[in-house]
Amino acid sequence: MRRLLALLLLLQALHLGTAHARRPPLELVVAQPFLEMHSGPGRGFPVVYVAERDEVVTVLYSRTDWYRVRAPHGQEGWVRRDDLARTLLASGEPAPIPPYPEFATHRWEVGAGYGVFNHENLVTAYGDFGLTTSLDVEFVVQQAFGTIDNRYMTTIGMRHTFIPEWKWISPTAGIGFGWQYIKDKAPPAPQQDSNQMAYISLGGRGFITRRFMWRADWRKYVIFTNQNQNQEPDEWKVDLAVFF
Amino acid sequence: MESRLGCVLLAAILLSGCSWFHRGHKGPQPVVAEETEAEPTIVEPQVPRRKVKTPHIKAKDFEVGGYFGALSIQDFGTNPLYGVRAAYHVTEDIFLEGFVGRSKAGTTSLEDVFPNITVVSESGRYFTYYDIDLGYNVLPGEIFLGRGRAFNNALYATFGMGDVKFADKDQFALNFGVGDRLLITDWLAMHLDVRDHVFETDLTGRTKNVHNIEATMGLSVFF
Repeated sequence: MRRLLALLLLLQALHLGTAHARRPPLELVVAQPFLEMHSGPGRGFPVVYVAERDEVVTVLYSRTDWYRVRAPHGQEGWVRRDDLARTLLASGEPAPIPPYPEFATHRWEVGAGYGVFNHENLVTAYGDFGLTTSLDVEFVVQQAFGTIDNRYMTTIGMRHTFIPEWKWISPTAGIGFGWQYIKDKAPPAPQQDSNQMAYISLGGRGFITRRFMWRADWRKYVIFTNQNQNQEPDEWKVDLAVFF
Repeated sequence: MESRLGCVLLAAILLSGCSWFHRGHKGPQPVVAEETEAEPTIVEPQVPRRKVKTPHIKAKDFEVGGYFGALSIQDFGTNPLYGVRAAYHVTEDIFLEGFVGRSKAGTTSLEDVFPNITVVSESGRYFTYYDIDLGYNVLPGEIFLGRGRAFNNALYATFGMGDVKFADKDQFALNFGVGDRLLITDWLAMHLDVRDHVFETDLTGRTKNVHNIEATMGLSVFF
């Protein structure tokens, strides 16, 4: 019990630490006839307070598309992003609500997904940084589950999006290199437990909603071995990702 | 005397008349000439420039926490489980979540009846998993405690995949779960979860899908 209390106090302290931002809080003037404040950050939560025109509300923080605000008399509630965007700064300028990142020009992607590597189940995760709107650097870690062994793979590559302004589906192609580590589950043990490899890929990407997107890839690998022949397995995968 | 007064008045009228004729001229010329000849002076502001910072709105879309509970490992009994979770809330409906958890299996019925038989080694009894999930808040809403207290909560469903390491082998596992997130405050949430880890194994002699159901309770923090 004492440990639980200590944990709660620690969490409270951490929260207070983050709550006190260095910058001054954002204060906005209600410009529309009224501003509805809900009890929770979701469309179904009831309205608990209505701020009137010319009232000044303080924005505390956001969660997804909702902003926690405080009215002049201390009432707090959640305001929908679109409603808050219609308020004004004290100077009369529009409220500085950051826009959604444009899908065509976003910089960062982080995602995970499922695939098949050489007839084996594959769990994959990736991070991607856009050098330009059409050229990205991607870093992938993945695990393939075979019947006699498991492969852990990591790759670094370049990925080109042919028509980035196509929102729902846009073709891509890539090239890169990486490493694999094999851990055997059943005998015989692999002749080499780590290899270098290279790949080419064809795929696509598209927007789903807000900052959510999908990505799919087919890859052809060349795994460099110390035997007479290199291995050339195929892979396909589908990822869901968040972009920033 | 009258004639002197008349002269003064006449002079005044004449002067005002002259000034009326003269009104077409603009500005005193000599002053303009001086300004064009003089070097333009730059007025340095005495007030230091204030750096205006746009207030930053902190987004609290991430959630991390821990949980503990019980995991029923098929054929190996029910045992304590503990783990950590991290989530990113994409929209008010959708979130992405990752879990890492660990439990230690007990003994099978066969091992209980015949103590000399060992199905899994001691190190292989650890059941360790990671999962990457997609979650959907199916039933968001409020729950009430007494007359004057309401808590935000959401019943959610999760689906995902990952790795289960059991009996010293890594297996691909799917997981399906249902949970409830109760927000004690806006930043602290309590979770109740039930999740099934399904994977294929031949540990007990024949290849089959095993269901390993966990029931957990946990706390998480939004930041």
